[in-house]
Amino acid sequence: MPENCALQMDGVNVFYDDFHALWDISLEVKRGEIVSIIGSNGSGKSTLLNAIAGQLSPRSGVISYFGETISGLQPHETVAKGIALVPEGRRVFPRLTVFENLLMGSYTPKARQHTQKSLDNIYALFPRLKERSQQMADTLSGGEQQMLAIGRALMSEPQMLLCDEISLGLAPIVIKGIYQNIGQINEQGLTIILVEQDITRSLKAANRAYVMLEGKVVLAGSPADLTEERVKAAYFGI
Amino acid sequence: MEGLIQDIVNGLLLGGLYAIVAIGLSTIFGIVRLVNLAHGDLMILAAYLSLFMVTSLGISPLLTMFAIIPVMFAVGYVLQRFLLNRVLGKEMEPPLLVAFGVSIIVQNFMLMAFTPDARSLMSELSLMTFPLGPDLSIPVLYLIDFCIALAVIIGLHYFLQNTYMGRGIRAASDDPYAAKLMGINTQNTYAVAMGLAIMTAGVAGVLVGMTFTFYPHSGPQYLIIAFGVVVIGGLGSMKGTFVGGLILALAQILGARFFGPGYQLLCGYVVLLIVLAVRPQGILGRG
Amino acid sequence: MLIALTLGLGSVPIWGSEYAMLFFMLFCIYLALAQMWNLLAGYSGLISLGQQSFVGLGGYTVAVLSSYYGINIWIGVVLGGLASVLLALFMSLFIFRMKGVYFAIGTWIFAEALLVWFSNWAYVKYGSGLFIKPSNDLSMVTIYYAAFVVGAGSVALVYILLRSRLGLGLMAMRDDDQVSETLGVEVFRSKLYCFLISAFVTGVTAGIFYVFQIFIQPYKAFAIDWTVKLVFMVIIGGIGTIEGPILGALIYVVLSQFLAEYFSVSMLILGGIAIVVILIAPKGIMGTLQEKLGFEVLSPRRF
Repeated sequence: MPENCALQMDGVNVFYDDFHALWDISLEVKRGEIVSIIGSNGSGKSTLLNAIAGQLSPRSGVISYFGETISGLQPHETVAKGIALVPEGRRVFPRLTVFENLLMGSYTPKARQHTQKSLDNIYALFPRLKERSQQMADTLSGGEQQMLAIGRALMSEPQMLLCDEISLGLAPIVIKGIYQNIGQINEQGLTIILVEQDITRSLKAANRAYVMLEGKVVLAGSPADLTEERVKAAYFGI
Repeated sequence: MEGLIQDIVNGLLLGGLYAIVAIGLSTIFGIVRLVNLAHGDLMILAAYLSLFMVTSLGISPLLTMFAIIPVMFAVGYVLQRFLLNRVLGKEMEPPLLVAFGVSIIVQNFMLMAFTPDARSLMSELSLMTFPLGPDLSIPVLYLIDFCIALAVIIGLHYFLQNTYMGRGIRAASDDPYAAKLMGINTQNTYAVAMGLAIMTAGVAGVLVGMTFTFYPHSGPQYLIIAFGVVVIGGLGSMKGTFVGGLILALAQILGARFFGPGYQLLCGYVVLLIVLAVRPQGILGRG
Repeated sequence: MLIALTLGLGSVPIWGSEYAMLFFMLFCIYLALAQMWNLLAGYSGLISLGQQSFVGLGGYTVAVLSSYYGINIWIGVVLGGLASVLLALFMSLFIFRMKGVYFAIGTWIFAEALLVWFSNWAYVKYGSGLFIKPSNDLSMVTIYYAAFVVGAGSVALVYILLRSRLGLGLMAMRDDDQVSETLGVEVFRSKLYCFLISAFVTGVTAGIFYVFQIFIQPYKAFAIDWTVKLVFMVIIGGIGTIEGPILGALIYVVLSQFLAEYFSVSMLILGGIAIVVILIAPKGIMGTLQEKLGFEVLSPRRF
């Protein structure tokens, strides 16, 4: 069973100093699924991803990845295990080129062995990046930076990809393209967790979804279960 | 105007030495936003270590570099990893004050261990010159300083531009949060950067010891030189560091020529203050 | 309680031995210097590594005026303070454009430059130093009271300053970075005033110190050691509190009496303790106490 359960969170509580950001979070993601986490600003979605990635440590509760406990690991250690986070706001390295950014993605010793192959895959997935490979990352458009951020995360050869608000600030047609890429990535076997404010888009792409409000999971189910009324009610805390 | 060309040549060569004195300070400030106030003192520490090896093993100071380089790298790594990493954060005061504390500790340690007497690593090299025309002779030592400085700076630049660790250091300085997501252990990366910086300080220290006399309290004067080079030449630019070194050295040598040897340091300070007032980002620096 | 302490301090010459007078005089001197450093670093966000510029200038003004021109010693002391203010004004043209670290090193550079200058200046007899020659005989008691005035006065000055509009602005700025952005010029001017005020008090205090010392030399007067001691005192006592420097100065004077013979060791220990304190309790003794117990003996806050 653990081999099928990519991520399991049990009663996870996360604090920022004294602020209780995540309350008793329990959820699970199966291998190969695309799971959406939706909620308004401040509902704790990004905190959730940061906790999984290791940027934050839970004060209590357990996070396991394919059966292995990862709560409390540092970010560079979770990357080595196969979890990659595409951070909110993209956060590409502005003073490095596209190529160098991607190279940074394969920093871990394991990934470094297949750098060239990974690069070829990324360039195949995102041809635009290949065109701009020698350009400084801060000269790219928003959509291109998003592709770069995703590509960079993929360079570490993850089995699970965490995407934090990848549609933020992008034009609808660009978002459509990005989500197509997400679909392709998922077909290649990656488990994906999508955190979004854009409900429609992320529900369309997902197998299952969780709705969060003020640091708690308030609703869960498949997109069919989650009708518009139910989601709106949960989203706004009605 | 006799000797003016000689002074200018000396100034240019000395500038190379000043550049390597500064490069460690500049690098670490660019990466971790930390001004290592102990930079000069660690240089002098390296000079003392070299002296110790020279007197006990009878080898030439240049050979001691092989030991100094790894030792100073380790010193820098440990310093950053276990002390300075703890105070890195939003506020600027704690790292500055901790570095200040380290500077005082190193200085007084050297004072106690090595006595306040003047020391030097000078050898026959210091006196050798080779003539280049009727009025001009190149001091061999200055030339060696310049060449080693150039090699070290180019090597460091290459490392930062072209290796995984080097790019990792640059990435971690741009965005530590994102760097961690790449699998970069930022604690380690910062420590490596400091290790490199102190390593260059070590090389600079040995060269300085070979070129001038030094005392336990010589550190701060080289810190100020390093700072001056960075201010004049601009932060974040290897070329800038070199240019800054040249300008500062020239200012000092020409100052000594026109105003007297006691005013050598003062002229350097004045040029530095002027640049600070007029163009704070330095001549080649990015605003 | 505070009043009792002040009275006690003020009456030392009456009940105290020669040694006690010396001890408390040094305490007052270091207290004044520490209060000023704290005013800059703890309240104005200005880390000065160059207070020794004003120490040296204040001391030399007194020396020159008394030795060469026979001017009354106390007038000399005040003029030393004024000279320091002028120096600070000049320095500010350069270093007030600089941020944080650059500012700190800028102050250090000025001090080093002054050291070199005075060491090479025939007028002040180069590095050999000058004597301070009071025109009339001064008793230890007089000197003590002068020190007492600056010591107690510095505490009162900082207290009053922080309760003024200037001070409130500074404290608001200290507690919230964004505020400082919007207040712009006002903050700049407040910092400048603090810098000038601290220069004056430091210069005057140094003048009194050198009246006591009778002899001044560049390499000691303009030495970074002054800053080391100030940093130590304020960090350990508690940066950003008014009581901190009081405690810090006391600790320092006590320690220095014990370590009097071992100069380098003492500096080493000071540096080491300061580092440990920064790592473990960055707010110093008083600061940590204030945080844990929630009280302030000398609170400049109005509520």
